[in-house]
Formats: sequence, C-alpha cells, structure tokens
Amino acid sequence: MTKTRIFPALAASALSMGLALASGAAFAQSGDPIRIGVPVGLSGANSVVAPSVVQAAELAVEQINAKGGVLGRPLELVVADDASGAAGAQKAFDSLIFKEEVDVLISMETSAARNAGLPAVQRGRVPYIYTSFYEGRSCSPYLFVNAWVPEQQVPPVVDYLMAEGATKYYLIGSDYAFGRGMLEFAAKYIAETGGEVVGDDYLPMDGTDWTAIISNLKSSGAEALITSTAGGAPNVTLTKQLRGAGVSLPYANLAVDEGTAAAMGADAEGILISASYVTGIESEANAAFLDAMKAKFGEELRTPNDLSVPQYEAVFAYAAAVEKAGDTDTRAVLAALPEVTVTGPRGDITMSRQNHAPLTMYLGQVQADGSVKVVSSFENVDPGEQCPNL
Amino acid sequence: MTLALDMITTAAILFIVASGLLAIFGVLKIINFAHGAWLTVGGYCAVVCAQAGITPWLSLPLAFVVGAALGGLTERFIVRPLYDRPLDAILATWGLGIVVGQLITLGFGRDVQFTESLLPGAVSFAGVDYSLYRLFTLAAALVIGGGFALLLDGTRLGLSARAVIMNEHLARALGLDTAKVRAATFMLGAGLAGLAGALLSPLTSVDPTMGVGWLVGAFMLVMAAGSSFAGLAVACLLFGSAQVIVSTFVSPILGGITVAVLSALVLRIRPKGFSNV
Repeated sequence: MTKTRIFPALAASALSMGLALASGAAFAQSGDPIRIGVPVGLSGANSVVAPSVVQAAELAVEQINAKGGVLGRPLELVVADDASGAAGAQKAFDSLIFKEEVDVLISMETSAARNAGLPAVQRGRVPYIYTSFYEGRSCSPYLFVNAWVPEQQVPPVVDYLMAEGATKYYLIGSDYAFGRGMLEFAAKYIAETGGEVVGDDYLPMDGTDWTAIISNLKSSGAEALITSTAGGAPNVTLTKQLRGAGVSLPYANLAVDEGTAAAMGADAEGILISASYVTGIESEANAAFLDAMKAKFGEELRTPNDLSVPQYEAVFAYAAAVEKAGDTDTRAVLAALPEVTVTGPRGDITMSRQNHAPLTMYLGQVQADGSVKVVSSFENVDPGEQCPNL
Repeated sequence: MTLALDMITTAAILFIVASGLLAIFGVLKIINFAHGAWLTVGGYCAVVCAQAGITPWLSLPLAFVVGAALGGLTERFIVRPLYDRPLDAILATWGLGIVVGQLITLGFGRDVQFTESLLPGAVSFAGVDYSLYRLFTLAAALVIGGGFALLLDGTRLGLSARAVIMNEHLARALGLDTAKVRAATFMLGAGLAGLAGALLSPLTSVDPTMGVGWLVGAFMLVMAAGSSFAGLAVACLLFGSAQVIVSTFVSPILGGITVAVLSALVLRIRPKGFSNV
C-alpha cells in the first residue's frame, strides 16, 4: 500500500523537476506559495545578528501576504542554518535549491558562505539577492546585492578620521575574504588621501586571542584604528580585549552592527561605524518599519540593523520584480530586478549599478547607552565598477 | 616589557584552562573530553550572574561549585563504570560534552552572551600600561598552582592522590578508598574547568562552543606536561611564550597553531614530555 502511494508522488516530483529544469519555468498553480530560501548563520560567527535578519524577513513576508501576496500567491520563508561558514553553506544551499526547490534565495551571510554557495546557485539557476555588506566584486548573473561595498563604506570613515587629524592608521581584521578585502581597500584609500598605514594584522575567524596584535598596535604609534572582523563573536572578543588593554585611540569598526554594539555596552562607546542603515534615520518609512517590528515581535525584538534592514527590503524588491515579470521564471525575474525601486527604511533603493545599488551612507558614533548617533550622512554613494563584465 | 607580560599572562591563562584537565588525567589516567563543556558551563555561570545583576565576582565560586557538582554526577554515573576502558571513557566524555553544549544551546540560544567585566581597564605596571584583568589572571594562576601544591603536599587527600598516582593497586591494598579519591579528584577537575570558564568570560565571548577551542590546546598541554603540575607550568610558559612570540613577530595566524605543533614535537623527542621536570 505504502509503496504504491509513494511511488507516483516521487515520480511526479522528479518529472516536474525535470520539466522545470528543462524549460527554466515553474509550473506553479495560482495560490501555491512562492518559496524564499534564507541560508543564514544561526550558529557560528554570525549567530549574534542572524536572528534579527530572520525577523526582518518574517515581517516583510507577513506584510506582503497581508496585501494578497504576489500575483495572488503567498510568500513562504524557508530558513536554513549555514553555520556561518563554507561547509555549512554548501549543505544549506544544496538543500534549499535542490530539495526544498525554493524560487529565490535572499540572505545575509559571511563572504565565505556566499562564495561556497554560489556554485549551487549557478547550477540550480535561482535568483540570489545578497543582503549583507561585503568586500565587493562578487559577480554572477544570478547574484544581486542591495548592501554596501568598500567603495561606499570606507571613504566616510577615513575622511572623518583625517579631518580629526589622524594620519597614522593600524588595521586589524579576521582572516577571510571580507576582512582582508575591506582593509585592503581601506589601506589603498588611506594612501590616496595622504595617510599612512603603520601596521595590519589578521586572526583566523574563530581566533579569540588578540593579545599579540594589541601589543603591536600599542607600540606602533598609530593615531587611529580601523577594524574589519567577522560580525559577532570576533568583534566582541577584540573590543573587550582592546578596552581591557586600555586602548583609547579613535576606533572605526567596519563590521559592527547596532545590535552587537548595544549588547557590548560600555565597551562599544565611541566606536565609529559607517552604515547604510542606523535606527536613528528620520523618515516615515523607517518609523513605520520600526513600529511594525515592535508590534510583531514585542519583547523578542532584535534591534534592526544594517544587515537585517537590507534583508527586509530585498524581500520587497523580489516581490516587485516578480510582479513586474508576471512570473517567478528566473530569467524574467533577473531582468526585472535592476529596474524595480523599493522605498524602505533606508530610502529609495534600486539595484541598477552592475547588480549593485547606490546607497545613502551614514557615519555614526556609538553612545554610552549603545544607541548610534548620526555624525554625518552621504547621499547616494555610488558602488563603483563592481561587475563591469556582466 | 609588554612582550614579557604578554608571554607570562598567556601562559597563566593556558595554565588556568589546563589545570582541571591535568588533575583528572594525573589521578584517573583518563582524558576528560567534557572539559570544554564544563568550561562553557562556567562561562554561562558568569552570564547568569550578569543577568541576575549579581556582582561578577560571585560567578567565580558559583562556576566552581556548579562545575564540581556536575563533575560529581558525571563521575558517578558515566565515568566510574569506564575506569578500565580509558578509550571508552574518552568517547563517553566527548559525547557528554556535545550533549552539554546542546543543552546550553537549548537554554540560552546559540548566540554570543555578554558578561560584566571583572576588572575593566588598564594599569601602569613596570613602566607600561597593561590590562588589569590579564595581570589578575596571573594571580589567579598562581593561586590555583599554589593551591594544588598545598593540596598535594599538605593534606590527607593529596597524600592519597599521590599514592594513587604512583601505584593504585598498592594504595588500594593498603586500605585507601581509591574510589573516593577518584571521585574527589574528578569533582575538583570539573570545578576548576568551570572556574576557568568564568575567569575567561571577560576576555572572550561566551557562546555554546566557547570551550571547544580551549579543549584542544589544554589537551596538548596536558599531554606534553605528563602528569605533573610543575610540568604543566613549564609547558604553559614555554608554549605560551612561543605562541606570543610567533604571533607578534611572524603572524598571529601561525601563532594560533604554535601550541599544537610544539606539543607534537616535544612528545616526538621526549615521550614523557615535561613530567620529570
């Protein structure tokens, strides 16, 4: 009995998968959910920030579904833990694309995880909206990015520190694509603007002992510190040990989010951050977003941040692209994505520049209570030539 | 001067982390792979104190007591039946470590927790500004090391423990309750692991896997130390210093593997490690 019942189901799903691959189209009936895969680091280095990202995606899906969904179909989230690393990402992407057969991937992840997942994206031919800031120049016809790259984030920080009179810089990062990419760009930009890099050091992503690096920093004569670690745990250990060692240099952190800063308490005070989103943005869209988050999650709310808000907006961007394309067909959605504009908490955003997006950047300083005060803002900063060959 | 302080305090932190493991290995001749888990439990004791608004200093005795209590239960129900099968004991404690890690994840979630700093800021010490807390870890390591010396040389339990270390069969034949010595040692070792976790919490982030990275280093040090505390102190000083020197002058990435590489080398050349020091 069981055998005869399972067999046709398997055959049917294999058949439909074959057809879907052959034609590149999904044969979904009206009313079938559109499935959004979210591979994200619920464990590992990203575990501090990942819950806020999932919350933002949940709110976006709920709001879109409350208005009747997309093309009459509801959205559905499929969240998978990628353990913040390459090995976990391979599994998460494979299972989302080939087992769960999601229509799109929208996620904030480490660069290691994104790079490990991209081959599966190419094979499975699904659109992939990457919602984390990153080191730049990751190019694929399937990949769209609505968060910042070094060309958008670093100049505000260095310009500000230069204006404060700092000319000697020390750079500290985690040893992975993002950490090195950001700091290489920072070093270049510092040299171009007449500053000097007096030292740079990296620790593996799971490293916790910054002792030697901090001692090198203290003896280097640096006037300002710029760090770019993996989000979460490395950021926390580095900041704790810096403060423990009495380092009080101007300190710009290219990878800290507001939520982590708030949780770090007094240790985070004075840190400069450069971001496309801070909760203090004064706009109607941001106020409405923050109210809706509070109403939905109440006590459980994780502070919305520069990683979770792009996730929220990316769900709307995908929904708009599907509406425009009239279908979830990958080719049509990819053609529509650079043409749709989303008005979200960060303002009007279009992924029109070689699959990347011009963004308004904010330079903020962490206050004693963990909130971020906007020191200055920079309108529609261009991401530059990210993918000229697309 | 900073370099010297870095070397000494790194050695002190390694000693704090490894001492509980060595205590158990020395007397029971088994490697307690749940050591990392007890360390994590200790870290979460600091988290609980921070959440309850209690002074973080209380987290130190709390972590020791919680670790010792859990160690007592582990010894009675998991390790005791496996004394004659040291390899199975490794598997059992390793598995226990995974279970404890998952229970912590269930209770507190996977993400990084934050604790109160015990001693924030830096002090001027011997002409340089240095982290007050790292200096404190040096004192803590000396207290733990001194405590062990006193315990082994000055108490009945220490005498019994030394007898068990030297020749367990003979000790039992002479009427020593070796089971009790084993249980007490295991509780002490697990308690020290918990204490180490609480002591580490101001230096590192507290998350369900915090103990794993430390376990490997501690295991290597204990192997190199043999079963003597003096050996452990020497191993920590040598390898900790080497780690700092490599990190400072070569690369912090290579520094991270220094302890493991040196331990392997030492054991290759001197299978007994530093146990005769």
